[in-house]
Amino acid sequence: MVSVRFVQANGDERTIDGEAGLTLMEAAQNNGVPGIVADCGGNCSCGTCRVFVAAEWFGKVGGPNELELEMLEMHADRRDGERLSCQVTLSDELDGLTVSLPRSQF
Amino acid sequence: MRLRGETEPMRNLAELDLPHLPVEDAAFAADPVSFFRKAKESNPWIAGSNLGYWIHDYQAIKDLLSKDDKLRPAYDGIVQMLGAHGTPWGRFTEEQLISLPPEQHAMLRTTFAKKFTPRFANQLRPMMQETIKRMLDEWAPKGAFDFEEFASSFPITVMFTLVGAPVEEIEGIRKSLETLGLAFSMDPNRVPEIHAAYDRLEKLVQRIIAERRADPRRGDKADLLDLLIDTSEEGNVPERQLEDLVIFFFVAGYDTSKNVLTYTIRLLLDRPDLYERCAVDHDYCRKVLDEGLRLFNPGSVPRFTDEDIVYRDVLLPKDTMLWFTLNVSGRDELAFDDPDTFNPDREIDPAARPIPFSLGRHMCLGQHIARAQLQEALHQIAQRLRNPKLAGEYGWRPYPGAWGLKGLPITFTPAEAPADA
Ligand code: HEM
Repeated sequence: MVSVRFVQANGDERTIDGEAGLTLMEAAQNNGVPGIVADCGGNCSCGTCRVFVAAEWFGKVGGPNELELEMLEMHADRRDGERLSCQVTLSDELDGLTVSLPRSQF
Repeated sequence: MRLRGETEPMRNLAELDLPHLPVEDAAFAADPVSFFRKAKESNPWIAGSNLGYWIHDYQAIKDLLSKDDKLRPAYDGIVQMLGAHGTPWGRFTEEQLISLPPEQHAMLRTTFAKKFTPRFANQLRPMMQETIKRMLDEWAPKGAFDFEEFASSFPITVMFTLVGAPVEEIEGIRKSLETLGLAFSMDPNRVPEIHAAYDRLEKLVQRIIAERRADPRRGDKADLLDLLIDTSEEGNVPERQLEDLVIFFFVAGYDTSKNVLTYTIRLLLDRPDLYERCAVDHDYCRKVLDEGLRLFNPGSVPRFTDEDIVYRDVLLPKDTMLWFTLNVSGRDELAFDDPDTFNPDREIDPAARPIPFSLGRHMCLGQHIARAQLQEALHQIAQRLRNPKLAGEYGWRPYPGAWGLKGLPITFTPAEAPADA
């Protein structure tokens, strides 16, 4: 299991255990983390499962892929560490990861 | 799949005493929301009809429609009901992107996804602005017109520009798209005109692809058609699939965008304050459109169950035809406060977000292009057609689709384009 801490825009926090091999989006949804909308179900089409990866995790999580980067342009509040959680696959290496959520996904 | 109430006894769909909806009647198309609300009194989420079952509860739509692996698109079922299997339009409808088996669909969609991102849509904005400006230069001096007719020329002109199609064909193809859009009104009497309309569109698409292959545009001059041709070559996409895809973009983008723009203007006719704001606040136009799309959108999504599904203690047997009513889902009283009020400033709960572009693997590929073109159009329309007023009666297009207003006569005070537009 990979432990991930989600920090909401209002400061609420929730730590979940996700199975390695699932995407961060799937793990969040399976655990009822609010704010991960994911309308397209993980197809990198809707841009509504955005998270901001904590700075110390940038290296391990890596940056957005090409398609993801073009999707992220729908948002006005761009920030370092932004990823679509459907494009991040959980692995043991990411155990302890912290991500924060935007105020809005749209 | 068992999503609720593990302990309740399960019942088969056929045993339920479901309300029957006259979806094919004109009275239904004029006010489906009231019919669905009435149906809800007998069953909170599902109703029957001559065309299949209707899932009309927002939460049920979300729960079920997102289960992509348990459903399959039912466009072949529509072709069957219309007796059009084996015809060119039938073939297209059964083989278009949305109808392909999951692996093929995923491959094709991934191949072309790069051309439908928000970045790409944003790059198209200057062209969209130029298109709507040219249209308004021609139409605004009239002082009165049928807004639906005006709106119908916009998405198709954008699409023609995107693929470099010959402008003299716009009017003919617009008529074809108008006819094709009525296919899902499920009236077999329309089938002969549907075939003629499809034939015209298919010939145009085959011609523009052949011409472009012979004379590609390169560098800055390359447009969406060059990109689609190049991408299809890189991805070894068969010619027939490339043609079907371009045909589908015309079909999928036409009356969806037109009907949304027309209905949004209908809403704004009653809210001159918000309309005024659209003229000066480009970003606010996006909010107005989002709220417009909640109150109205053209789509009912047809699916077959691909296995037995148990939902809310009801067994939906494999191969049952289900229609998901995206078009009225935003009016669900359980999901939205004060659902009939047009309020672009309403707070949207991320867990109850309107779903006009559907959900899951078939979620609208064109949504970012659609949103961009509607925003650019609304912003300029509000600047050029001042103080619009409703100038007569309007009607409704057949349900389920592509549903929307039939005609919207308006009068207004023409205004010049601002110097920087
Ligand atoms: C406001 C305008 C629009 C609305 C409300 C809308 C709505 C929808 C809906 C509900 C679906 C899902 C249908 C289903 O699952 O059976 C869909 C699919 C699709 N739409 Fe749109 N659409 C709009 C504009 C456009 C435009 C402008 C384009 C093209 C540029 C487009 C291209 C597509 C494509 C390619 C699909 C199929 C995706 C797939 O199967 O993977 N749409 N649209």
